[in-house]
Amino acid sequence: MNTMNVNQLVRHILTFEKRLIDGLLCLLLVAMIVLACLQIGLRTFFSGGLLWADALLRYLVLWCGMLGAVVATREKKHIAIDVVGYLAPERIKPWTGLVIDLFSSFVGAVLTWAAVIFVRNEALFGGSPLLNVPTWGWNLIFPVAFALITIHFLLAIAADIRSLTGTGQ
Amino acid sequence: MTSLKLLILALALLGSPLFIVIAAVALLSFSSVDINISVVIIEMSRLADTPLLLALPLFIFAGTILSESGTPRRLLRLSHVLLGWLPGGLAVVSLLVCAIFTAFTGASGVTIFALGGLLFPALIKDGYTEKFSLGLITSSGSLGLLFPPSLPLILYGVIAEVRIDHLFLAGILPGIFMLTLLVAYSMYKSPVKKEQQERVTARQIVTGLKEAAWELPLPFIVLGGIYGGFLVAGEAAAVTALYVLVVEVFLYQDIKLRQLPRLMVKSMMLFGGILVILAASMAATNFLVDQEVPMRLFEFIRQYISSKYTFLLLLNIFLLIVGSMLDIFSALVLVVPLIVPIARGYDVNLIHLGIIFLTNLQIGYCTPPVGLNLFLASYRFERPVIQLYSATMPFLGLLMVTLVIITYFPLLSLLLVRFFGG
Repeated sequence: MNTMNVNQLVRHILTFEKRLIDGLLCLLLVAMIVLACLQIGLRTFFSGGLLWADALLRYLVLWCGMLGAVVATREKKHIAIDVVGYLAPERIKPWTGLVIDLFSSFVGAVLTWAAVIFVRNEALFGGSPLLNVPTWGWNLIFPVAFALITIHFLLAIAADIRSLTGTGQ
Repeated sequence: MTSLKLLILALALLGSPLFIVIAAVALLSFSSVDINISVVIIEMSRLADTPLLLALPLFIFAGTILSESGTPRRLLRLSHVLLGWLPGGLAVVSLLVCAIFTAFTGASGVTIFALGGLLFPALIKDGYTEKFSLGLITSSGSLGLLFPPSLPLILYGVIAEVRIDHLFLAGILPGIFMLTLLVAYSMYKSPVKKEQQERVTARQIVTGLKEAAWELPLPFIVLGGIYGGFLVAGEAAAVTALYVLVVEVFLYQDIKLRQLPRLMVKSMMLFGGILVILAASMAATNFLVDQEVPMRLFEFIRQYISSKYTFLLLLNIFLLIVGSMLDIFSALVLVVPLIVPIARGYDVNLIHLGIIFLTNLQIGYCTPPVGLNLFLASYRFERPVIQLYSATMPFLGLLMVTLVIITYFPLLSLLLVRFFGG
């Protein structure tokens, strides 16, 4: 395969990932709203409720947040102390950007690894399942999200290098 | 070890994402005492045991929808009709609307961008000086953080593990006090009216009320739901989200159905940015608590400071500096777990502490040299930051006065909690 095709393939995959995550986020958010309101309704009118709903809601919050963090990485919208950003001369910014992305990718990769160990341990000694899904399944979001975050930081490095060497897309 | 941590600090100042920085510190700390790094993720996964967290994404979503809809415009028009006749009417309107709006959307800069753009030209047209108008809008950008259902207030409750309904109650009087002071100053600074003002007709009032009829019940849904004992904070957030969604998308049709996915993703992105910082700092601060750092810190401070009031003074100075450097969510997440044990040692009420925290961080938003609001306003109104420093000074002074009073009269924060706290 020549480089053109690889580039195209990467772009296709990225578009697919963006759509998938965005769609999933909308779905999860709607599910949270509906489920929470349903609980209130059931309690008010039938003085009942779904036993698993509260636990499920808490996992939905986690999933939304972690996937949201993937989007924040993609859009470069993470919260940061940007003192140097205001003070640094324009010339060195691509370099600081590269350093930051290298550092972030590395930490992201370590976090992914830690999350894999965590999920593996959960699978061995995990707690009681929710809706027939074992706890490690619910916690799978950690390795998945951190892996995606790492990939986006790595992509950012590639973009940094391209802009530094002046070979635009 | 220390040199690695210094390197991480340097990378933080360069502008690395804060959650990466905090996670790096946590990973490094745990591995330095030979604990498996998966502990970091175990700590993060404990977030799934926090039922209060649900309130955050849902209120963020509601806030995003509100700020992208016609709500700011309608709210402004209605309050202008109702209050515009007062001396300093427009300034009063600005303060109130900003406060309400910030309470619902958080001090994310939305207030300055969405409302500031409408208010600034109106204030100038009404004869206010540019300096006053800029200062007013910049400092109003974070006004209202003490009112429910403010997100930072919820986040403080989550971290300090205190009741959110109590925090909501505690913020009301200090918030009103702060508003009153700013309103009084604005009335004093209001320009002399040259010509007779146009009279507001009853019909205008009715139109304004009708226009905003669907939005007016919002505060009552939140407050009534929580204090009527029908809803906990997370549920109130769900009802608010559903209500706002129905009202803005289907009744007002300010937001088209196809815009909705974008706004949903945007609000979850904002939430995600906060959640990962919260997750990373769960691990980092847990390490510090494990190593009894807060207790040692407390004992160290205790040698020099015996009085609770001196401690609070120092805390205020510390928080003002933190607040001007960090954004409010990261500041809360990082500092609260360390300060809470110390404050307990000095016998400070944790609800009161929360209000002190938020007041400080709110002021930090407009404190030179790096307060966020100053930069947002500078960007929005295309004025040099230096000009905004001097424009916000008088407002900053007033906010400091309220800070002192809030800090040293705990009753202001705790009165309503005692009466209605149950």
